[in-house]
Amino acid sequence: MTQQRTTLSAGAALPAVTKTLTQEKIAAYSDAGGDHNPLHTDAEFAAKTQFGGTIAHGMLLLAYVSEVLTAVFGRDWAASGRLKVRFRAPARPGDTVTVSGTVTAVADGRTTCDIECRNGAGELLVSGEAEVNA
Amino acid sequence: MKTLAELEKGYEFPPASFDLSGEWVDGYVSAVEDGAIASLGGDLVPPMAVAALGVRALLEHAALPPGTLHAGQELAFCAPIHRGETLTAFAGVGSRGERAGWVLMGVDLRIERAGEAVMTGRGLLSFPVAEGAAA
Repeated sequence: MTQQRTTLSAGAALPAVTKTLTQEKIAAYSDAGGDHNPLHTDAEFAAKTQFGGTIAHGMLLLAYVSEVLTAVFGRDWAASGRLKVRFRAPARPGDTVTVSGTVTAVADGRTTCDIECRNGAGELLVSGEAEVNA
Repeated sequence: MKTLAELEKGYEFPPASFDLSGEWVDGYVSAVEDGAIASLGGDLVPPMAVAALGVRALLEHAALPPGTLHAGQELAFCAPIHRGETLTAFAGVGSRGERAGWVLMGVDLRIERAGEAVMTGRGLLSFPVAEGAAA
């Protein structure tokens, strides 16, 4: 489902996407992305870190963010998207991660959105800004 | 294999070419449960898949120190990418500093198709200073 750009204006909410993380999904991303950092896949190693257990890859969360932006902006996202984020807290197996966003400006052929990911407890995991020529 | 902890500011990774095979893209789309990319039709690749493969190409040259954290990410997509294309990743250590016992490293990434940039970005990574000292 691709939302038409003409319907977007400042204040519009982007359609949210929710994913439930599992260790299996994190492992699948490790294989696809070739990132086998034990913090993501080795429970024994991760238990000794500040996180106390495995956490999801930041790039996996950004894939969820990109899905939202693809759904809204279609090919424009792939052709002209810009994303700048900070990872605020770890996402863990069992977390329900919701990506949401709000259009903050539409000007000069560019649409700017605030983007965030939160877990089921409402904790902010990722925050940032996306821009696209649309 | 080197780890990122051994790399100083200004280090340039050897260029790395990679193919966006349909099989790999299918695996990526399944792993990230991307329900939007198929709606665009054609053989478009999720833009984050391009970033992921670019990072993967780098990790084949220099491993992440255990416990490395991904603190931030900037990405800019310049052109749609299709299955079957061959891309080349260029990367370098754009910044490196220390704060409160942690190394903060900015890794710049540029992915090209036939000499034209299709994606650029910078990842901000963090790992304990001890990892760097051990290198």
